[in-house]
Amino acid sequence: MSEPSKQHQVLFVDDDRAFLQVIRDLFVSWSEDAWQVYCAESADEALGILKTRKIDLIVVDVNMPVLDGIQFIRILNRRYPHLKKAVITGFATEEKRSTCLTEGAELFIEKPRSADGLKSVFTMLCELVSWTPQKGFQGVLRQVGLYDVIQMECLGRNSSILEIHNRQIRGRIYIEDGKIVHATAGDTVGHDAFQKLLSLASGEFQLQPFEPPSERTIEGSWEFLLMEAARVRDETASQAPAIKTAAKPEPSPVAEISPAVSGFPVRVSETLICSGQGDVLYAWQCPDVNTRVTLLQHIAQQTTRLGQLLPLGSFDRLEIQLATGRVVAQVKPDRMILVHTAPVTANHSQKQA
Amino acid sequence: MNDTLQKWLVSDAIAPGMLGCGALLPDRTCLSYSFNETCTREQLDSMLHQLAETMALLASNGLASRRLTWAFEQGRVLLVARPDGLLLGLATQSNTEAAQNVDRLAADFLKLDLSH
Repeated sequence: MSEPSKQHQVLFVDDDRAFLQVIRDLFVSWSEDAWQVYCAESADEALGILKTRKIDLIVVDVNMPVLDGIQFIRILNRRYPHLKKAVITGFATEEKRSTCLTEGAELFIEKPRSADGLKSVFTMLCELVSWTPQKGFQGVLRQVGLYDVIQMECLGRNSSILEIHNRQIRGRIYIEDGKIVHATAGDTVGHDAFQKLLSLASGEFQLQPFEPPSERTIEGSWEFLLMEAARVRDETASQAPAIKTAAKPEPSPVAEISPAVSGFPVRVSETLICSGQGDVLYAWQCPDVNTRVTLLQHIAQQTTRLGQLLPLGSFDRLEIQLATGRVVAQVKPDRMILVHTAPVTANHSQKQA
Repeated sequence: MNDTLQKWLVSDAIAPGMLGCGALLPDRTCLSYSFNETCTREQLDSMLHQLAETMALLASNGLASRRLTWAFEQGRVLLVARPDGLLLGLATQSNTEAAQNVDRLAADFLKLDLSH
């Protein structure tokens, strides 16, 4: 027996009362009660409904008095960025279509003039309301180092799945509470799969919500795993005859890593993790912990102000490009992290040896 | 200098997904352009002053940088500094043409001849 599906909450905003009545009757019937339809004759009324109901999809008429549909979509985009939005109009033009889609509408529909047309609109809206946007974030290996992402997830003690793929291979790295617990790359699993994925010179990745893996094939500290993967990658690149994975040396306090961005080895030279209130949870090689905490607090305050000025959603991280090296600062309500990476110098390599 | 910069900002920076851009001159005046109603010139000016403040604070903490990127869920804010003290700020939405152009714009800004 299948589980009962969720009832979608759909709000129509149109100053044409008769049209709203038709929509309500037909769409509730066609959806076989899978839709709860709300109607509003003005933007004000719609905002009132949005405050009290958890609406999944809003369908707005462009030509409304006082506040037209385009302005309304713009407001909705700011106040409810995750709400799915469609625009409907009796007078469609390419300019209107382009404006509405730019302002955040997912769908631009011309008002139907027949029952068949209404059915098509219903089908399109069904598709939209059932569509689930991907959670997490995505990127390209050349733009953001895979090592950086794994470090951030592990330092933040997050749980997530990193899906990585290019034309040759597709794989997953499972991170649970900041520990790398499993990896798959094609038919390979475990350490070999992890190293194979981290050896990719190009590709794309997506950070997905965590789901427990079918097995746990990886143990050990993430610093060591990254360092080992970097070593294997370098050896492979220089066509070394053998890849040693069985004998594992003691992990170094400094994780030497090789970002996919540059291909040059870098090392973590400073790490600081604080609570959201600035209490130091972990500090390693910080020149002055208190100054660094103050700096993170300044970044936190500033990102709040930036977030108020610009409609860009929640803050993820600040990347500070230095003359040699890079700092990434992540500020969340419950934690603040600063990681400083620098290129491996000849002196440092000798010290490590 | 202002004319060249102004022309460059208006002609090169505008692309779908660019919320706004602006330059902070060494005398602390701003030359901002908004390409989206959600982001006014006043907001861009305020943003530029804030970002410049952070760049200075970072430098005083031993983290002198010529390029800062604030990554948000739905876009990025980039600050690039020239050796002559001129700063460029760009606010772009994710997955747009403007976002793809950011590196090219930053490179062009650094090479921009403002001597006349």
